[in-house]
Amino acid sequence: MFDIQLGAAGEIVMAGRLDATQCERALEFLNAVAAPRVIDLAGLEYVASAGLRVFLLTQKRVRASGAGLQLVNVAAPIHDIFRYAGFDRIIDIVRAAG
Amino acid sequence: MNERRVLVPGEAAQLPALTRFLREFWSAAGLPAAEALCFELALEELFTNVVRHGAPGGPPPAVELSLALAGPRLTMTLADDGPAFDPLALPQPDVGAALEDRPVGGLGVFLVRQMMDTVSYRRAGPRNELCLTKRVAAAAAGASGADFA
Repeated sequence: MFDIQLGAAGEIVMAGRLDATQCERALEFLNAVAAPRVIDLAGLEYVASAGLRVFLLTQKRVRASGAGLQLVNVAAPIHDIFRYAGFDRIIDIVRAAG
Repeated sequence: MNERRVLVPGEAAQLPALTRFLREFWSAAGLPAAEALCFELALEELFTNVVRHGAPGGPPPAVELSLALAGPRLTMTLADDGPAFDPLALPQPDVGAALEDRPVGGLGVFLVRQMMDTVSYRRAGPRNELCLTKRVAAAAAGASGADFA
């Protein structure tokens, strides 16, 4: 199960499991957002390496216009994955509190 | 030692069954759910590689996933009888590179290497065998060497 939608404040909200079968859908959604900024990952339970590619591609796109993504409410195990991939050095990632 | 194994055809549609097998092993062994994430990701990445490189134009390879917990060390082995293929021989991405220079692919195997304590490949007769090990926290805290049978 994977869900991606816009939240009340215009942020992108992802929930569930971003495995390889969901990446195309996730990327299509993100590509349709003109200037994605905040992505709320509170509900994200799993991200495959193909899912990391979705974040990387989107960050490359928004950086081209001088902006940048901010991933928020990232659970510790998901944050660990981003760190292992070195993404914490190229994307602003905020861990969930507590 | 607690060991389980399962055999499936190397088809993408089998991934959920393998993931379920991993999670059932994990919870039966009383390991913390958060630590399963790395293994789920490794399983998806490595199984996907096997499916992709498995047996071009022929029947899918037979794939065996085995999990073993010995004290604090968890070992995951993914074996298949497809053509010789070493996923560890794939070129590694440069994760120190600036964003503009970062290639988009090649991340999966690199991640597996980062997350696991040891990663090894060998060709054993007609089989590719990829073996990952990682020390897992809860079992270490239990520290009695008890069997999780």
